[in-house]
Amino acid sequence: MLSPERLALPDYEYLAQRHVLTYMEDAVCQLLENKEDISQYGIARFFTEYFNSVCQGTHILFREFSFIQATPHNRASFLRAFWRCFRTVGKNGDLLTMREYHCLLQLLCPDFPLELTQKAARIVLMDDAMDCLMSFSDFLFAFQIQFYYSEFLESVAAIYQDLLAGKNPNTVIVPTSSSGQHRQRPTLGEASMLEGVEASLFYQCLENLCDRHKYSCPPPALVKEVLSNVQRLTFYGFLVALSKHHGINQALGALPDKGDLMHDPAMDEELERLVVRSRLHRTSQQHRAKEPGDFGFQRRDKLEALERVPSASAPTPYPYRWEPRE
Amino acid sequence: MIPGKYRSVSGRAANNVNCGLHLVIQTSSLPEKSKVEFKLNKETPSFPGRLLQHDLERNYSSRQGDHINLASSSMPSFPILQRSSEEKILYSDRLTLERQKLTVCPIIDGEEHLRLLNFQHNFITRIQNISNLQRLIFLDLYDNQIEEISGLSTLRSLRVLLLGKNRIKKISNLENLKSLDVLDLHGNQITRIENVSHLCDLRVLNLARNLLSHVDNLNGLDSLTELNLRHNQITFVRDVDNLPSLQRLFLSFNNISTFESVCCLADSSSLSDITFDGNPIAQESWYKHTILQNMMQLRQLDMKRVTEEERRMASVVAKKEEEKKRESHKQSLLKEKKRLTINNVARKWDLQQHRTPNIATNQDTKVSDSPSQDPSQLHGSAVVSAFPEETGSLDSGLTSALQGLSVTDTHLVEVDGDTLSLYGSGALESLDRNWSVQTAGMVTTVSFTFIEFDEIVQVLPKLKMKFPNSLHLKFKETNLVMLQQFNALAQLRRVDQLTIDPQGNPVVNFTLWKYYVLFRLSHFSMQKINGTEVTQNDMIMAERLFGILAHVASSELPQYRLISILGDARKKQFRYLLETKGKKPGLVNEDNNDSKRLVGENTNRATLNYTTRDFYNERLEEIKEKKKFCKMYMEDLVKEATDINMKNEALQKLWPQMFIELVRDAVIEIRNKNSYMKLCLQQITDQK
Repeated sequence: MLSPERLALPDYEYLAQRHVLTYMEDAVCQLLENKEDISQYGIARFFTEYFNSVCQGTHILFREFSFIQATPHNRASFLRAFWRCFRTVGKNGDLLTMREYHCLLQLLCPDFPLELTQKAARIVLMDDAMDCLMSFSDFLFAFQIQFYYSEFLESVAAIYQDLLAGKNPNTVIVPTSSSGQHRQRPTLGEASMLEGVEASLFYQCLENLCDRHKYSCPPPALVKEVLSNVQRLTFYGFLVALSKHHGINQALGALPDKGDLMHDPAMDEELERLVVRSRLHRTSQQHRAKEPGDFGFQRRDKLEALERVPSASAPTPYPYRWEPRE
Repeated sequence: MIPGKYRSVSGRAANNVNCGLHLVIQTSSLPEKSKVEFKLNKETPSFPGRLLQHDLERNYSSRQGDHINLASSSMPSFPILQRSSEEKILYSDRLTLERQKLTVCPIIDGEEHLRLLNFQHNFITRIQNISNLQRLIFLDLYDNQIEEISGLSTLRSLRVLLLGKNRIKKISNLENLKSLDVLDLHGNQITRIENVSHLCDLRVLNLARNLLSHVDNLNGLDSLTELNLRHNQITFVRDVDNLPSLQRLFLSFNNISTFESVCCLADSSSLSDITFDGNPIAQESWYKHTILQNMMQLRQLDMKRVTEEERRMASVVAKKEEEKKRESHKQSLLKEKKRLTINNVARKWDLQQHRTPNIATNQDTKVSDSPSQDPSQLHGSAVVSAFPEETGSLDSGLTSALQGLSVTDTHLVEVDGDTLSLYGSGALESLDRNWSVQTAGMVTTVSFTFIEFDEIVQVLPKLKMKFPNSLHLKFKETNLVMLQQFNALAQLRRVDQLTIDPQGNPVVNFTLWKYYVLFRLSHFSMQKINGTEVTQNDMIMAERLFGILAHVASSELPQYRLISILGDARKKQFRYLLETKGKKPGLVNEDNNDSKRLVGENTNRATLNYTTRDFYNERLEEIKEKKKFCKMYMEDLVKEATDINMKNEALQKLWPQMFIELVRDAVIEIRNKNSYMKLCLQQITDQK
């Protein structure tokens, strides 16, 4: 608690860095919005529930996009919530379009912007044929990268364009033959032989970015890992590699590994219970529809009533008894 | 002899009756003892007729005592007819040469006062040698081979001319026969009626079994009472109204198929007897009463007496048909208006959706024309097609079809039995109207077209209240794009069937849309979606796909969020109820029951609501103020807290030193007991 890092920051900035203020502001705002309802059961309880839900990651459900985007924890919680709610869709094996995934996102956040989903889809489809169907896992991991690191990715895109155009954001210019070639071939279309950018150069730029970026970045070591495997890579190639890297996924901590994506035993149990209940509910409804007079319902009530009566009152002698009381 | 057809006008007796023209009609065969002699005279004939060189070498014997002697000679010429003087005296005015195998008309000598001449059943090809018989009244050439009417120009007294069953192709050369009373041309090859206009005494005209294709040129026949046109090829009849005396008209076995082709008959006041049997018109279902309706003067139709009952039926049927025509015309007008309005609404919708209108220019002008006509017509139609409770006297035919049609340029509301159709967003206002309980109760299907779904969402509570039996909802061109929008349908009482037309509703392209609907609206136990039955497997699949979403949405939401979300929904409904006039306690109770039931059946889904984009943004705007305040408040708190923290830290830093100083001060003070006691006393007195 009393680490030197903490003491190094002025108080306000410390709070801001940990996003404490965001949550406090939001809590007070929620309190104001729902004064009448909350005043019924106490403000202390409200705050308890609020921060509990923040810890559990359920605070972002059905909230507006500005809130969900506000902190990395919110984003991670949203990703996790999305995974948990719609894992069954993936398990079912359905391949959906970008629009449909966007619809599912909107179920959890009504004003989720389409651009983010589009960008995520571009990662999966490598910027090609945007109407293609995507699998749940592909989309989810791409979406994770896009959403969680959205600002970082924007900067990376800018850097990439610069590198393609031959401009090196680094002050140190290494005059090599390749950079000269870069300068002569500014557009992507013409760089067909030399696709993308050189991995090592790219990494240098990214490292600088991570150092000065105030938004969250993937751990630089892992980025280096991604970039060390290839000589050259395109922008979307880089993003795809990021999304598929399980180390980064683990570092994020929102989603399980790809292999375990469809597993969630607790939820599956709950689901089975729900399905069974719905089936019963439906058949009982059908029964009710067939036999007018709520036969099944009344019966049960009567039974309950019967059961209750003898226990409540003193044991009364039954008029009909088959066997002597013991 | 004259066939029995040409009896007297007055009676129907089948006996000899004097027809008032001093003609004695004989039905019996010829009296036996007339002897007629035919002699072929070599001498030149005594009258200035032409002499044809004929070679006749025949010896005839007639039947029934006609003794006709025809002497043949080698020189060709007409046979000369001579009767014995006995016969001349006995039958001075009539001469019968029936079945004499004549091929030409013989010269009849010395019979100038002949009044009746009978050439039936011969082979005569030309009418000749009778010009001298200027007293002739009755000429019968039935069943011969005459090809042309001629040689009659001197017979000014002729009253009855029978030329049936010949080969006559044209009516001509009748100019001088002004006294003609009966003209029989049946069984010939006549194609046109002509050259009869001068026959102002003609009473009976028989043109049966000819080749007539139409009837006209009948003017001038002022006395004509009977016109027989049976067995021709007549397709239309004209000029019959120019016949002032015509009573009987026989048109059997012709080619008349519509009443319009014989419409002149309606204008003839004298007609009392008409036949049409054997015509195509007689096979029509409307035949009898149309004829009777249009020819009120008719006494006999197709040789059957027209009864009062039939006449009445005819007028009733005619009236009914008139009404039916009027109604169908009205309905087609309404339909046309409806179609135009729907086109208009569709065009507006397309423009709204920034799609290029693909209606051709000629349709454009049609639509632009209609608005100018519509307002005036609309007021009329609005009155006519008002709701039953407003104008109670609607025809039964109309109410069974289009009920309650309200048409303007921009929207259309239509109640058609059990379907309420709304086109265009303006139509939603019609839900505010006072619908009769009966009409509203009958509506089971509600169809929305060219209306934004977000607008429909806002009127769903009204729909629930006003049309409680609506079980089937149809959406076409309503801009359904998100699955979330289906959440809005959960507030209805019950939906059995849902039809989302792919046109204009992109949501249908999603793979999971049906399952989502089944999941979110599971408490409705829907039977059909887009026409396909919902199976148990579908429901289970829906539950499997989205069950966790419901679970998360209910059990993992903090309590205050649950309350606030549910409270929002209930607040909205309450607000609507307060806005409307329905402040009756019954309604409020119902709403409570509804929401209770809703909550009881599927709490876990109730949090999945849909607020329209506009409402949502509105709400976010409202919250901005609060957020600003909160931010400021928090900043104040933080400032305070940081201040305090700083002070705390500073204190922490300074405290040891301060403590040491405090202790040192205290020790220094107490060092000298006396001076410390004095100091304390002084302090106490100072305090007072």
